[in-house]
Amino acid sequence: MSTLKPVLSRTFQLMLVLWAVVTILFLMFRLMPGNPLAAYIDPTFTLEQQEQLIRQFGLDKPLLQQYFTYIGNLLQGELGYSFRYRTPVADRIWLLLPNTLILTFSSLIIAYFFGILAGAWLAWHRGSRAEAVALPVVLATRAMPEFWLGMVLLAVFSFSLGIFPAGGTRSPGTEYDSLWALYTSADFLSHLALPMLTLAIYSQGLPLLLMRSNMLDVMKEDFVTMAKVKGLSPYTIVIRHGARNALLPVMTSFAISVGYQLQGNVVVESVFSWPGLGRELVSAVSASDYPLAQGAFLMIAVVVILMNLIADLLYTFLDPRISHA
Amino acid sequence: MLEAIASRGKIRRMFGALKVPVGDNFAVAGLIIYVLFMLTAIFAPVLAPFDPTEILYSTDYELASDLLPGQEGHILGTTSLGRDIFSQIVFGARSALLVGLTAAFMVAFIGTIVGLLAGYFGGWIDMILMRLADVAFGIPFLPFVIVISAFLEPSIWNTVIAMALVLWRDTARVIRSQVLTLRSRGYVEAARVAGSSDLKIIVRHIAPNIVPLSLLYGSIAIGWAILTEASISFLGFGDPDSISWGYMLQDAFASQALSRQAYHWFIPPGMAIIFVVSAGFFISRGYENLLFPKLGR
Amino acid sequence: MKTSSFQSWAGNMNEPLLSVKDLSIAYQVPGLDVVAVSRAFFDVPKGAIVGLVGESGCGKTTMARAFTRIIADNAKITEGSMLFDGQDLAKLSEKAMNDLRWRDIAFVPQSAMNSLDPVYRVEYQLNEVLRGRGGLSRAQARKRAVELFELVGIEANRLRDFPHQFSGGMRQRVAIALALALNPKLIVADEPVTALDVIVQRQILDQMRDLQRDLGISIIIVTHDISVVAYICDRTVVMYAGEVVEDCDTKTLLSAPLHPYTMGLKNAFPDIASAGSGMLTPISGAPPDLARPPSGCRFAARCPFATDHCRAVSPTLRQFAAGHSVACHRADEAVVLRGKAENPATWGEMA
Repeated sequence: MSTLKPVLSRTFQLMLVLWAVVTILFLMFRLMPGNPLAAYIDPTFTLEQQEQLIRQFGLDKPLLQQYFTYIGNLLQGELGYSFRYRTPVADRIWLLLPNTLILTFSSLIIAYFFGILAGAWLAWHRGSRAEAVALPVVLATRAMPEFWLGMVLLAVFSFSLGIFPAGGTRSPGTEYDSLWALYTSADFLSHLALPMLTLAIYSQGLPLLLMRSNMLDVMKEDFVTMAKVKGLSPYTIVIRHGARNALLPVMTSFAISVGYQLQGNVVVESVFSWPGLGRELVSAVSASDYPLAQGAFLMIAVVVILMNLIADLLYTFLDPRISHA
Repeated sequence: MLEAIASRGKIRRMFGALKVPVGDNFAVAGLIIYVLFMLTAIFAPVLAPFDPTEILYSTDYELASDLLPGQEGHILGTTSLGRDIFSQIVFGARSALLVGLTAAFMVAFIGTIVGLLAGYFGGWIDMILMRLADVAFGIPFLPFVIVISAFLEPSIWNTVIAMALVLWRDTARVIRSQVLTLRSRGYVEAARVAGSSDLKIIVRHIAPNIVPLSLLYGSIAIGWAILTEASISFLGFGDPDSISWGYMLQDAFASQALSRQAYHWFIPPGMAIIFVVSAGFFISRGYENLLFPKLGR
Repeated sequence: MKTSSFQSWAGNMNEPLLSVKDLSIAYQVPGLDVVAVSRAFFDVPKGAIVGLVGESGCGKTTMARAFTRIIADNAKITEGSMLFDGQDLAKLSEKAMNDLRWRDIAFVPQSAMNSLDPVYRVEYQLNEVLRGRGGLSRAQARKRAVELFELVGIEANRLRDFPHQFSGGMRQRVAIALALALNPKLIVADEPVTALDVIVQRQILDQMRDLQRDLGISIIIVTHDISVVAYICDRTVVMYAGEVVEDCDTKTLLSAPLHPYTMGLKNAFPDIASAGSGMLTPISGAPPDLARPPSGCRFAARCPFATDHCRAVSPTLRQFAAGHSVACHRADEAVVLRGKAENPATWGEMA
């Protein structure tokens, strides 16, 4: 298939980017002021632990060799030991990753579902009073700090109205048989509600404005006019031809939005005490738990780059002009 | 004749960057908000009734903490530590303006230079610069700012530095695209053939067409800077000695303002941010329509 | 499906298929009404190919699109009628008009690339009209699609392709196949070959002529290129600045035109059949601003034969001879004027 070449080349490019980010991370932590060993070793570790880490990460070897050891360790999933938790960083990261992903994807799916429908509706009702009100409101949602929105929702729905819990993923004392049971429980969902709503409101602006803008452009295209001349039904014209074409860039933006949203996660997780990678990054940095901070940052970067790649590939496959060149 | 057409368009575009988009209500509203914002920042000491960091006591020598709006001359009440909220809002405009302008300038400046060089010279310069941009796109921004804050002293400049290092990427791509379009038009090649130096071509033909774009992206960057700074302060990595809107929100959150439903404390800073950042959006939309008119939008 | 409409019309062969009477179309721009088509009169006989020729902005495209009643949002048919098969298209309800669309009146656009949806295969887009509007079953539609492609000279296996996979000329054929899908009585083609190179132009035009002969459809070809008209049109309507200035059979138009504009047009285009021969003398100047049309003859400013009378009084379209109408005060002197028009110097003086 003729698309294989660009797919491979783009994948390769982004692997390079990942490598570059990983290297920057390495340099940042190694070259920070103070004891170069401080990136991996906390004075409170036992001597045995310290020696093991020195060996594992080659901390007594020259920088270049340390670098290769670092890469090698990374590929094996070895990220060092958390100062605070005394457990391997990797374990902690894998534990928290699902929480972040659930929050990110659930809120984005809602945001996009709403945004696409609302954007198409607004395009259809161009120049109406509804549009004059809706557009500034949507722009305002993009202008607000997500954590502030979270604070407001928390204050209103949790503290004032008492509908939703104030934070965390579950009520204290609850036990579940499996992860699946946990994630589908009403308790978990009620904890998920507010942070998810916060991120959804914050994120819907992009798909809404993009869909609206695309619809307005597409409806002016010649093939839409032709559809009218052919005497096709309004549904066929607006949805089958109009929306289908307008949707293309919106779908690829979804993948990229995951990357941006993940960063917004950081503050929202903090507001709602949601145990995810973002919150972990913040607390690790505050506590100078460098290995954990590195690990959390790295995981976030990997997801961002991966989603960028998926966005590129999506466009290749969804646009017949590219997939059937 | 091509010269004449080119220079007329060029001049029009430069003035386009300065003109006030009178027809667009929102853009005008945005400009008014910006002006108010700047005036507030500049005249903060005059406008604020109290020192924002000063811990105040009420007449009966009790800590003037958690006062409600209107009590004892505090328009918006006081924080748990007894500081006047309204004064904090007023002074918050200062750090917002400072961070906003410097960060926006850095982002626009770096982005424009990179885009210009990449688009104009092409070849391996382009390749290297665009790979750099790819890396910048791969770095999650807020986490990056947080990590940087781990190494540097808590300060509002952390935001500016981080933005300068990473957020030039959007501007660079757009400027590069524009430069490529300009290059494909005849007169750049014509000037080359006529023997003009690269610098002259850039200054006379390219710059006037991309400066408006730089300003556009710069004005959007102001909003991003303020939002980022707010997030950083909220997370506790900001400068505790300077009162910013983000700091106020962190203060409120940490002081359980939410559970005590002290809306008067945390709503105003958020509203302030929304107004200023929205104003930025409106203005940039207004200028965008001015520079690239899309009929009937 | 009708195979030959000819026999069914034999009864009223003399009635024109489309009769445009006193048609005016205006665009409403803030504060102003720009009259794009002003009191047009002409007929399209059954089974004929009629050319609608004029420079850009003369109103020909606006009028052509008006026949499908899909015009710009701010455009309006302000007066007149378009009698098609006994019905006035200008007065029909939207539902009645929509019934006619594509079934009786089809359209071939200027740029087929932009008029085909890039995300759907060509077969899908054919089925939209064959099944959606024609009521055919899947099997019948398939058969018809293959038939149509054969008619226009494309292999059937290309039905599964996307629009961008076709070359320019083939895309135009796809557009023609689409237009023929429901066996319409009238096809309106807007600059169907302008975007193509000369060799492909001739192929497409040949195809259109053959199809027209075999199926008996009437075709209106809108173009600014008089050589296209010369190549296949039976009759020609010349438009200038929103008005019909001449209307006659093509042979006469080329050998003995009555209107100075037509005389000038001839000099401006090489003959399509013998490309390259003949001098090119474009008519200098530009058409008047339709927002503020002049009071006299609209062509007077560029006409080497204009008199003060021409500049003061606007000529109306009148029948000069059988099947030949013209809007010119000096039509009686046409023989003499034609002689002068042959000389490029006459036009050079106007520059």
